[in-house]
Amino acid sequence: MLNYLVRRILIGAFTLLLITFVIYGLIRNMPGNPLDTDPAMMDPSKMISKADIERLLAVYGLDKPWYEAYFTWLKNACTFEFGTSFSVKKPVLSLIKDAIGPTLQLSITSLILTYLLALPMGLYSTVRSGKTEERAMSFVLYMLYSFPSFVAALFLQLLFAIKLGDTWFELPLMGAHDPDYESFTATERAWDSFKHMILPVTCFTYGSLAYYCRFIKANMEEVIRQDYIRTAKAKGLGPIRILIHHAFRNTLIPFVTLLGLTLPGLLSGAIILEQIFNWPGMGTLFFDSIGTRDYPVLMTITLMFSVLTLLGQLIADILYAFVDPRIRYN
Amino acid sequence: MSENEQTTIEHSPGFWSQAWSRYKRRKLAMVALLFIVFLSGVAVFSPMIAGTKPIICKYKGSIYFPCMGYYYSGWENPIFQKDKFRRVYPRNLKQKDPDSWAIWPLVYQDPYRPVRANEWGLGEDGNPYDAQGSPSSLNLFGTYKTGFDIFASMVHGTRIALLVGFVSTGLSALIGICIGAIAGYIGGWVDITLSRFIEVVMCVPSLVLILALLAVVESPNIFHVMAVLGLTGWTGMARLTRAEFLKLRESEFVAAARCLGARPTRIMFRHILPNSLAPVLVPIAFGIAAAILVEAALSLLGFGISPPNPSWGTVLNSGREKLQSGYWWQLLFPGIAIFLTVLAYNLIGEGLQESTDPRLADPRD
Repeated sequence: MLNYLVRRILIGAFTLLLITFVIYGLIRNMPGNPLDTDPAMMDPSKMISKADIERLLAVYGLDKPWYEAYFTWLKNACTFEFGTSFSVKKPVLSLIKDAIGPTLQLSITSLILTYLLALPMGLYSTVRSGKTEERAMSFVLYMLYSFPSFVAALFLQLLFAIKLGDTWFELPLMGAHDPDYESFTATERAWDSFKHMILPVTCFTYGSLAYYCRFIKANMEEVIRQDYIRTAKAKGLGPIRILIHHAFRNTLIPFVTLLGLTLPGLLSGAIILEQIFNWPGMGTLFFDSIGTRDYPVLMTITLMFSVLTLLGQLIADILYAFVDPRIRYN
Repeated sequence: MSENEQTTIEHSPGFWSQAWSRYKRRKLAMVALLFIVFLSGVAVFSPMIAGTKPIICKYKGSIYFPCMGYYYSGWENPIFQKDKFRRVYPRNLKQKDPDSWAIWPLVYQDPYRPVRANEWGLGEDGNPYDAQGSPSSLNLFGTYKTGFDIFASMVHGTRIALLVGFVSTGLSALIGICIGAIAGYIGGWVDITLSRFIEVVMCVPSLVLILALLAVVESPNIFHVMAVLGLTGWTGMARLTRAEFLKLRESEFVAAARCLGARPTRIMFRHILPNSLAPVLVPIAFGIAAAILVEAALSLLGFGISPPNPSWGTVLNSGREKLQSGYWWQLLFPGIAIFLTVLAYNLIGEGLQESTDPRLADPRD
């Protein structure tokens, strides 16, 4: 096991090196640089001289070719030195710290909701498989699964923020807080946050809920046909015990992989949904830094995302061995 | 089985005809397939459904097909430019040649410009816009921006939506299958290197990759978007193909082919590939759905094709910009169109999955 872990981590580190190198090359070679995307530079009266531009480029470390600058970045990253954002002049880590809260607020809520709803729904549809109500449920879930979340977000915004405006059902159009949030009392703040979260969380949840339900059901269908289920039935066990204890526990393996794959998604946020809801999370930070060519922010987020993706895969593989004693790594 | 049935020799049905007969039994998957066929029809005949250029017209003694200009601007007959039609046909045809006649598209609306007042010379109104642009008999799905007709934009946008799906997924299937096949068949160091490469591309956030690649070209058109989507979306297919090839290269028919002296490329693409095609086909259907979604999402973020070109995402984006005004028609129609198309491809994908999976084969077949 230890041998396996060390090998995996070494391969992972090598992959990480490759990824960051490729990304660094890509974003440094995008047309434009942080200087000419700065709105202040568009003003002709504030145009700076060529010498000043060169001085600034040197300050940002952009005067060297990208493959040389990559190694500078890498050396700093190894000591957890991620630099300062070009566009907002704040340390990258503090920007990420500010953005990660709102993202987690949405993703964790949605994850918990998904699990709470998907498990009973998936098991229910296994038991009632083929019955009218199960087919209706599957149909609706399939529709939801195919419904693009950004279209749903726009529809919900239109319905609840515009058409139902000034009624009891009105929900805020976008943002995480009311503009007057600072002057609210504690309960008002909680209520305000709750109201702002409803629409985004709905959009984050319904798609994955449909996916998880179908996933659980598909795996259960396969397991429920096995001989050991028939044996359990023949022993005279109750249906609930068979369902949970004998059948569901054996579908945990694919379920665990899925868990590993959701890990990066939890922190990265969804760029499009965050844009639509103007949510101050990681997706927005990332999208904005693409626009301003904010290399330090872009690189740090990419690094974080890649580490999480690789870590998620590793965790899934390790968890495999825990839930399935047949799997041995050596 | 009856007596006389036994006397006739029946060819046992092949894998694909079996799969097709199983696919046909799934009603929803068939409906989805028909829907895509319908959409393809709309895409191919879009200039005949909605447009302001005659499908066929007789002008100064010759027959012309000005509507071909919608497929490619060079195909619009130069005589109309020379005679200063300025893209307004109805009034000019009658004025410049009283004997002319024309067959018009079903709906006289244009995806590239708002229809203005008096184009027929009958004193009729031009397209309304903003709050007046709600769906009416003149503008079936309403208007957006400065009076562009949504119905015409969406009919012509079908061409782009389907093309994006087909071309980009075709490209990613080509790349994915080739890389997966080489990695799976040759194995060893080649496999390790290619697997690392696949992993790297998978780990790179797709939006960074897409935006970085799109930023390389000055003003991206729809073919750049397709190419970029194709270049970034092949990893899943590569992994699947690799797994299939790993499994099949040890099988007897491959050994037999090798004994007969077949070259590796022949074994890979003539022997193994047809046998591993079924599991690869399924992600292609899902990939088309994903490509259509990403294209619409890119338009929504402002990185898609530029606005005068009609696309579902562009209309949706204008609805998003005017969300506060509550112009529901700018969101509803493109939103539903994207949803139905994605749904159809997902249903087709699932139908393929279940009809090509030998484990789910019906004993009746």
